[in-house]
Amino acid sequence: MSQVFHDIEKKIITSLKETPIQTPETLEKSTQLLPDQIRRGIEWLKLKNLAIVDESKSSIISLGKNGLDSFEKGLPERRLLNLVKSGPRKLSDLQKELGFIFGPAMGLCRKNNWIETSSDEIILKITPSILPGEKTIQQIGKNKLSKEQIDKIDLTELLKRPDFIVEDIIKSKKISLTASAKSIDISNTSGAIDVEAEVPEIFVARTHPLKDTIDEIREIFVTLGFSEILGNMTQSSFWNFDALFTPQDHPARELQDTFFLDGISAKKIGTVEQIRKVSDSHKKNWRYQWDINEARKMVLRTHTTCVTIKHLAENKPDEARIFSLGRVFRNEKVSYKHLVEFNQIEGIVVGKDANLRNLMGIQREFYKRIGITKIKFWPTFFPYTEPSLQTMVYNEKLGKWIELFGMGIFRPEVTKPLGITKPVLAWGGGIERIAMLKYDLDDVREFYNNNLGWLRSNTKCQ
Amino acid sequence: MPVIELSYSRLQKLIGKVSKKQISDSLPFLGLDIESEDKDLVRIEYSPNRPDYSTDYGVALGLQGLLGIKTGSVKLAIKKSKNYRISVKPTVSKIRPFVTGIIAKNGKIDDKTIKQLMTMQEDLHFGIGRKRKKSSIGIHDLDKISFPLIYTTVSRNHKFIPLNSEKVLSISEIIADTETGKDYGPLLGQSSQVPIIIDTNEKTVSFPPIINAAITTVTTKTKNLFVEVTGINKDDAEDMLSVVATILQSAGFTLEHIQISGAKNSSPKLQEKKMIVDSSLINQTLGLNLNTSKIISSLKKSRLNALSKGKNIICTIPAYRFDIFGPMDLVEEVALGYGIQNFEPTISPSQTLGQINPISFQLKSLNQTMIGLGFLEALNSSLSSKRVLYDMTNRDSKNIISVLDSKSQEHTILRDSILPGLIENLSRNIHESYPQKMFETGGIFNLDNPVSEKTNLSAIIAHKDANFTEIKSVLQTVLKIGFGIEIQTKTAVNSSFEDGHCANIIFNGNTIGIIGEINSKIIDNYKIRVPVVGFEISLSDSILKFI
Repeated sequence: MSQVFHDIEKKIITSLKETPIQTPETLEKSTQLLPDQIRRGIEWLKLKNLAIVDESKSSIISLGKNGLDSFEKGLPERRLLNLVKSGPRKLSDLQKELGFIFGPAMGLCRKNNWIETSSDEIILKITPSILPGEKTIQQIGKNKLSKEQIDKIDLTELLKRPDFIVEDIIKSKKISLTASAKSIDISNTSGAIDVEAEVPEIFVARTHPLKDTIDEIREIFVTLGFSEILGNMTQSSFWNFDALFTPQDHPARELQDTFFLDGISAKKIGTVEQIRKVSDSHKKNWRYQWDINEARKMVLRTHTTCVTIKHLAENKPDEARIFSLGRVFRNEKVSYKHLVEFNQIEGIVVGKDANLRNLMGIQREFYKRIGITKIKFWPTFFPYTEPSLQTMVYNEKLGKWIELFGMGIFRPEVTKPLGITKPVLAWGGGIERIAMLKYDLDDVREFYNNNLGWLRSNTKCQ
Repeated sequence: MPVIELSYSRLQKLIGKVSKKQISDSLPFLGLDIESEDKDLVRIEYSPNRPDYSTDYGVALGLQGLLGIKTGSVKLAIKKSKNYRISVKPTVSKIRPFVTGIIAKNGKIDDKTIKQLMTMQEDLHFGIGRKRKKSSIGIHDLDKISFPLIYTTVSRNHKFIPLNSEKVLSISEIIADTETGKDYGPLLGQSSQVPIIIDTNEKTVSFPPIINAAITTVTTKTKNLFVEVTGINKDDAEDMLSVVATILQSAGFTLEHIQISGAKNSSPKLQEKKMIVDSSLINQTLGLNLNTSKIISSLKKSRLNALSKGKNIICTIPAYRFDIFGPMDLVEEVALGYGIQNFEPTISPSQTLGQINPISFQLKSLNQTMIGLGFLEALNSSLSSKRVLYDMTNRDSKNIISVLDSKSQEHTILRDSILPGLIENLSRNIHESYPQKMFETGGIFNLDNPVSEKTNLSAIIAHKDANFTEIKSVLQTVLKIGFGIEIQTKTAVNSSFEDGHCANIIFNGNTIGIIGEINSKIIDNYKIRVPVVGFEISLSDSILKFI
């Protein structure tokens, strides 16, 4: 299989084949590429194990101001020695002639016992043939030399003296090809592009993750033989509560749990017969004065059951499988686990064979289809169903049982006044809870934040 | 739902031979959810329709049945007595007409018993008592009271030392200054006369439904109790009394009768009631095939008594089980006694054909078209705020629909438009890369006898070159591809949009929406740094097809 190279890579390989060891600068010249292209190309080749990048640091030595002065005129001590070579000289004269180098020159000569001073005269004792550093100064001259080329003892000495030596640290890259790269036939790779290179990120347009879950659940219900019904989110208390046998003084009907629409009441809430029979059932069983004005108050539905009960009361089917799906509202403090508005699914089965075991069976089937197989049923209480159960499902991630759907059989006190004669199975629950498990979220608010970062990045099929 | 704290070791003593694990395994099958456990303590949540579960005595009765340790109903053994009488004066009938009560003798009261009785009293007050409005209980030390008692009314100047106080206070002071007075005083309204129970020495015993007298306080030294329940309905008051009587008997007290008379009051009967249920209703509803003896044993495990007569089951229900309204409640009792864990779920072959609602189907296609056009779907609450809907977007807030007493300031007004929410969404994403394109389909609300709900589609585009042409192309395409309809745009003026860059969307001569470049003031309000264009159309009236 022929390898794939970017044009940049090809040019660099070709150049390195001609001149095996190069720096980025020489590559720039030989390939006519920009410094940035060279840098990227070398990086790619290195990742593919085709190029060796030898990064090294080297010291470059040159002479400083005093060093250059010594190169031209000799070291200060040499100049002093030269002046006293032909006989003793007056100290003050020497001072004048040598200027500011007189001090250091005197110091060195005295320390090494090359001269003697008597009263105001300086007398030569020995003339050394070569002074320390003298050769190196001449060697460097006006050039820049690498540190390795220079005598170490001399260099150490000269480095002690001010402005004699300038040392520059230079980083350099030497690029060469690996053995396998050397055998690449560049002419054989033409036409292909680098499919392994990174590409810019683009963002998908997509349905909302919660909507995906809602759609998935809708499809499951349809495949289980259920038909979807729709209904309003604003409902009279009559259908949201009274028709469902929730007494008017029940705590759930208080402002602190339910959203009542400010100053809005329904004129028509049901047929005369419906109202009479529902209120009779309340008076008889709950023993209080039922108030029609209380039933007229408009609320944001607290469950979708108001939609299903209304549908059943209007159609009185002998046999039916229906479901409703939509937003419901609770007057709660918003937190990581509570929203004021969330989605609920509710399924209904009407028929003479509707019984508790079938209700449990449908639950089991539904959960199986959303991937939950470990479930159990516990008894519970709802005002409008009897018997009532709740499903507990085992969450592997959390390692515990969590409560999901509630279910039951509509009480005769609910169905009878509305003329529904066949048993009605009902169950339902919040969808966000299921979606949270699916998307591994621990804050339910994320579904309504419309945070593009999250919407653009989370995985669609989980 | 109310939560109570129980102790496993105390429960074990009350139930009999039972392990801690048996208890914790069985609690959920009584309908009691375990909230948390800590060594010997367990916190459980019970349903408000079973106030007998407000104490460990009641829970123990239930568990004994379920575990088969003691089954059948709990009979109240109430000794007849002529020593205890309450006479009721007609003046109470206007304010709190009924009183009932019972004597409980020779019990042992320790701190834990007092704690259980107090929780029971609180839960009864809150639940079936409807925060003491319907009925309320007072539990007193019998030996501090001299019978007969009078239930009557007094003026607000009447004085006594109330519970948890050392001072003599007047009724007015109690209502104004004590905590329970402030909480429950309003139940008495503006009435100048208030209900009171006074003993034969004219000592105040109780000021229902507010507070007991300090003198009758129950302590660990108390042996004999007087329980009174007052209320606005005789049956409700007796229901509440039946729970207290059953619990006290289970706690080891001997019950004695109180004679009550005057102003339509009478002595409590606390009688069992009989109810007949057809065994075929039980089997049909549960999907089981139980014979009558299995049904009867299941009912007994639910602490009821039953016998069979042919297909019929005649059930005896103790007074404290007033949650049982009719035969269907007995069906549930059979299910619980039989054990929910013993039900095998079945699936009956479907005889119906499923169908997606045509509206849902059309909305889904519309969503897919919007996604095809490169838009990301957003979801906002329909309950929004004045800030988002009106203040920030410069819209008219004349006909708003608001909810009462919302606990969240961001959720107070039902949206009448989707677009303001989408603009707000852009403001939360200014750090994300552009272009940003979002859409939402959803319900909007308008005042209309009383409220009309419609489905709208709104879409929004934000990037440095966003303009009218771009958004109009989107609108035109989505309606053409989605529904095969063509629209026109006619110049319009709208405070949310830039003048001269805004149009009404016209279909079949009707305005169905609005489109344009969002007013730069709004964009500034939200500190968005790129131009924004958008549209909103109503789908309900003319676009979605109701099949």
